[in-house]
Amino acid sequence: MTLNNVWIITDNQNAVGELCGGGRQLGAQVSVVLFGDQNQAKEAIASGADKVFLFEQPENSVMIEAYSKSIAELLRTEKADLAMVYSSIRGKLMAGRIAAQLATSALAISELKVEDGRIITRRMVYGGAAMRTEKTLSETVVVTVGTGVFEAGPKDETRQGTVTAVNPNVASDGIRVLETRPKQGEVVNLSAAKRVVGVGRGFSAKEDLKMAEELAALIGAEMGCSRPIAEGEKWMSKERYIGVSGVFLKADIYVSLGVSGQIQHMVGANPSKTLVAINKDKNAPVFKQADIGLVGDIYHVLPQIIAKLKAQK
Amino acid sequence: MRVISCCKAVPEEQDIVVAKDRQISFEKAEWKFGQYDLNAVEAGKQLVEAAGGQLSGLCAGGNILDNSKMKKDILSRGLDDLYLVIDESLEQADTYQSARVLEAAIKKIGDFDLVLCGAGSSDLYAQQVGNQLGELLGIPVVNAVNRIMPQGDKVIVERALENEIQVLEITLPAVLSVTSEINVPRIPGMKDIIAANKKPVTKFTLSEIEVTNSLPSSTVLSTLAPEQAERRLTILEGESEDIVDAFVKLLRAELK
Repeated sequence: MTLNNVWIITDNQNAVGELCGGGRQLGAQVSVVLFGDQNQAKEAIASGADKVFLFEQPENSVMIEAYSKSIAELLRTEKADLAMVYSSIRGKLMAGRIAAQLATSALAISELKVEDGRIITRRMVYGGAAMRTEKTLSETVVVTVGTGVFEAGPKDETRQGTVTAVNPNVASDGIRVLETRPKQGEVVNLSAAKRVVGVGRGFSAKEDLKMAEELAALIGAEMGCSRPIAEGEKWMSKERYIGVSGVFLKADIYVSLGVSGQIQHMVGANPSKTLVAINKDKNAPVFKQADIGLVGDIYHVLPQIIAKLKAQK
Repeated sequence: MRVISCCKAVPEEQDIVVAKDRQISFEKAEWKFGQYDLNAVEAGKQLVEAAGGQLSGLCAGGNILDNSKMKKDILSRGLDDLYLVIDESLEQADTYQSARVLEAAIKKIGDFDLVLCGAGSSDLYAQQVGNQLGELLGIPVVNAVNRIMPQGDKVIVERALENEIQVLEITLPAVLSVTSEINVPRIPGMKDIIAANKKPVTKFTLSEIEVTNSLPSSTVLSTLAPEQAERRLTILEGESEDIVDAFVKLLRAELK
């Protein structure tokens, strides 16, 4: 049994395919809220949308989140059973505000299915130590969904759907956008890397990371790290931090160096196919989830490993 | 500036015991305040240090909040006073229910300029209580705040989106959820810990803050440790050339 009315709200056009794929699988009718143009609406229809509600981009000083109240009203009048909001930063804020308007919670889900007309969700809790399965009770269920939860269906350019332009009178909500500028620093997409070398607290100085960088260069890997390296020491940027509130890897191989293997880190590392670990503490939790491990001090073994890999190149 | 930083008491996830049937137990778990909430306390402290004012802590949760070690811990991190809403039912509260309780408590506390929340709670990490609280209070609300600069009756904040920084001018009062990168929370010194004993603590029951019941958004069917991927567990031990050689052979085989 499917739902009657599934709604999708996304500020990122790249998420339209997957979310519409999920919407088609879950509901009889799929409506999509976009903040873009007619071409994007067409793409949503080709991806599975029946109705597109096109919210005009507000003037530069207004955030799109200012539309939250109008979107909540739309969900209420159209009797939405489920609203799936793309889990970008802006999406999360919209989801929370919309859900508050509808007197319900907003759940960050990693799986969602319909059983006996009820929506069943799964999400990660306790820093990745557990998965929680819940049966939702709200009239309109609000969830945030990232990429990789649903699969995009094939695009059908002949699909028909309606496009409604919505241009609500938005108040600025007391927030004025003064400026939007690109993020400083490097842009790295660690979750797309096939090989990753990760560093942890086993390194006692920033310049020692050179050893890890040398290994990464030799095996063609991107560099990643545990949370203390990014947020405590700030030796590496947050985009490189692997873990529950950071990046989830999808690598073929992840080599961790001096990482103890706390659950919050391993949750981000675990989707990798092969886990390799080097740590001087043989009781470190990282060795309980390693395919290949070496109990040894990185300061002693890493130079040897690098020399051997170089010699055999 | 009157700042209220929200904090949640959570079980230490490192102390979770997983049984054979993947059930998890917190029986041996220590309690602490969420690590991301400490960023909200530190951000509040820095604001009142720079602009003057008062920093209050606000927690809603079960009886663990009345534990003197817990109260002292959070007070020693820079709070001027602490407000607690204690009811065992709050241990199971979802994001909407939590936001409702905080809303009612804040109305009871009175005037404020800024409510700060962390990036998410350390246990459930829904990242939604701040967003929902702002909407319920009907005041400006923003998440992912990476920098806060006071400017009269407004604040200028930097918000870290995926690839962009938004600079926002926000009229007070407002609710902001800060990132875990906004600061490094200070570690309380002996003086802070002693001073914590003398700071006022106000306890509320749910009926004292006049919050009406709201139905839960979901019922929990199960909370289970994830199924572990099968790992080969080929662990070598030692730093001799032979051992390192064997390790490099294994590594090389993976890289083909």
